[in-house]
Amino acid sequence: MSATYLQALLSGLSVGGIYALIALSFSITFTTTKTLNFSQGEFVSFGAFVGLSVLLLLSGTFDFNAVPADASAGLKFPAAVVTAGVLVGVVGIFIFLLAVRPFAGKPGMSWVMSTIGFGIILQSLGLVVWGPAVVNVPAPFGEGVIRIFGAGVRSQELVVLVSAIVIMLVFDQIMRRSLLGKAMRAVAFSPQVASLMGINVTLVMVGAFVMSGVLAGFAGVMVAPISTASLFMGLGFSLKAFAGAIIGGLNNPRGCIFGGFMLGVIESFVGLWHSEWREISVFVLIILVLAVRPDGLFGARTVDKV
Amino acid sequence: MDRRDAGREEKTMHKRNMFKMAAAAAVLTLTAGTAFAQEIKIGFNGDISASPSAQSGQAGVLGLQAAIDDLNAAGGLLGRRLSLVVRDDLSQPPRSIQNMSDLIDNERVSMIIGPTNSGNALAWRHIPNQKRIPVIGFSGSATDITKPMAAGADNYMFRVSMVDRPQVAALMAYVKRNPASKVVGFMFETTGYGQGGLRDMQEIAAMHGIQPAATERFAVNDTDMTSQLNKLKAAGVDTLVVWAQGAPLGHLLRSMEKINYFPRLLTSWAADNKSFYDAAGPQLAERAIFLRTVTDERSARQQQLFDRVSPRLASTSSFPFAAHAYDGMMLYAAAVRQAGTIDGPKVREALESLQGRYDGIMKAYERPFSRTEREGLLASDFRWTHWKDGRLVNYGDDVVRSLRQEDFRM
Repeated sequence: MSATYLQALLSGLSVGGIYALIALSFSITFTTTKTLNFSQGEFVSFGAFVGLSVLLLLSGTFDFNAVPADASAGLKFPAAVVTAGVLVGVVGIFIFLLAVRPFAGKPGMSWVMSTIGFGIILQSLGLVVWGPAVVNVPAPFGEGVIRIFGAGVRSQELVVLVSAIVIMLVFDQIMRRSLLGKAMRAVAFSPQVASLMGINVTLVMVGAFVMSGVLAGFAGVMVAPISTASLFMGLGFSLKAFAGAIIGGLNNPRGCIFGGFMLGVIESFVGLWHSEWREISVFVLIILVLAVRPDGLFGARTVDKV
Repeated sequence: MDRRDAGREEKTMHKRNMFKMAAAAAVLTLTAGTAFAQEIKIGFNGDISASPSAQSGQAGVLGLQAAIDDLNAAGGLLGRRLSLVVRDDLSQPPRSIQNMSDLIDNERVSMIIGPTNSGNALAWRHIPNQKRIPVIGFSGSATDITKPMAAGADNYMFRVSMVDRPQVAALMAYVKRNPASKVVGFMFETTGYGQGGLRDMQEIAAMHGIQPAATERFAVNDTDMTSQLNKLKAAGVDTLVVWAQGAPLGHLLRSMEKINYFPRLLTSWAADNKSFYDAAGPQLAERAIFLRTVTDERSARQQQLFDRVSPRLASTSSFPFAAHAYDGMMLYAAAVRQAGTIDGPKVREALESLQGRYDGIMKAYERPFSRTEREGLLASDFRWTHWKDGRLVNYGDDVVRSLRQEDFRM
């Protein structure tokens, strides 16, 4: 029986790692620009296919119907991760300039629609280039099941778990120690004051969208061997990740990561009890958290002085 | 003739020529117009670009086009050429409904093949019934698609494809007949497709007196189902019947491997999809048993069509949809010949009482439809299938061989 609970914990953490990575990418733009990229899911899928294309090109083929078993071997996978991160980061610049900047800070929620629209464009472009097929992506460390005290987990799930934690720690250090991080926090606190202090606010905001894009692209490639790549894979993950970010606190990157992991584990354990309550429990939890702590479990309360 | 006269003569000539040309143009337009009116338009409405099932839609269009090419090469239908009008519904019900009206009211098609997804057929099947235009399904397998809008009402919905209910009937017959199946569990995906299948499973299980020990669910995007599987394992389930789409079925098998629990696995035909094979991997994929209309062990006629369309098929596992659409078109053509018109109600009546025999890609059809029978393919036309070395091959074991007609309860 203990193996069952350990399995639930491990499975929950590995799915939670995916949520955590994407939740963090939501948080970055929110903390600096007070806007969200509602096409984060499409960014994740887009990143997965950019990475997959790199894997195929490095393997000397472009046949999506026959991905070689060793397509992710050696340095190919890291190369795919980096390329996807960079390219989706560049897409991040575009979404900021085209879909966010014209509307940010203005009354109304136009940026919600414009970011969703940008995602639809991105997905349609992806469909033109790559088609609607679901593509299997081999894991860099093989598909075998690793047994830990009777519970099974796959190598890629451990990779996602570990990299989510590492990225969280690195990101935390950047935000707290580096000049860039301090500038981002300053812009988040008050763009006007930051601007008066000589910080290039627009540049910092662009930087936030780039970082968010990089993370989404990175997440896409990392998740693809677990979920199989499809241009529709990102939406489901990003919805849950967003829920995780709300629970953890959108303006606290640490909280977002924690929220993502928590959501994964809760889903897994509720599934052990009554699987029909899995989705319900997630959203009941959101309502409870928002009722008690409107800024999320770890979110800082912002007080607007009038 | 002086120069002035010559000029006048020239002008008159010019005028005459102009008139001639205008007359010729008018005649040309007129002939083109009649040729246009004489063409019989066939519509296709289904997803060919926007969802994982789009590959099935693309295959359907290829099969339909092949049938139309063959008919045109043999002189058309009632002496008129056939043309194909394709509308992509992007898998979205509102778009699919709009396409339906566009095809019938603006394009004036005489028959429609589609849609790719069951949900869209359920969203618009009232439209062809009101407008009295026959529709032949080639992909969507939901049981309710071909039911009449009201008891005894004229029904314009036909289908040459897999149907959920007889599939479930066959799987339940297997469970009932298998001496090793003592504790049965159900699993389903929380989409319309999964829930429709669960309802069929529960109803037919009840007819057999089969009582599932547990019923578990998962979401279509889930990648880890170990929690639900651990519950089934704890309940001692030795036979698992699952209704879900290809990719989540693949993830289910991967989760089974994680906890090293492998009950006898009977699934929906979505397991024939490449997305299932890829997600599960070549070894795990071989564990699923399901039904299909064509296996990779093709008949000569199937191989012929396969050779024609396969260079343009995104995935060879979507070939059955090309074969279904081909046969659907040919059965319609036979009905038009019998009725001697493309008038909707008369063609429907002809379809419901087809004379003679049509040697199709899937089988030899003899009076395939009637006022109550809407399915071109029946349970007896389905093949037990599993994956073997990357191919979809016929599956056979003692239980399958022992199945009798009376075991199939619907």
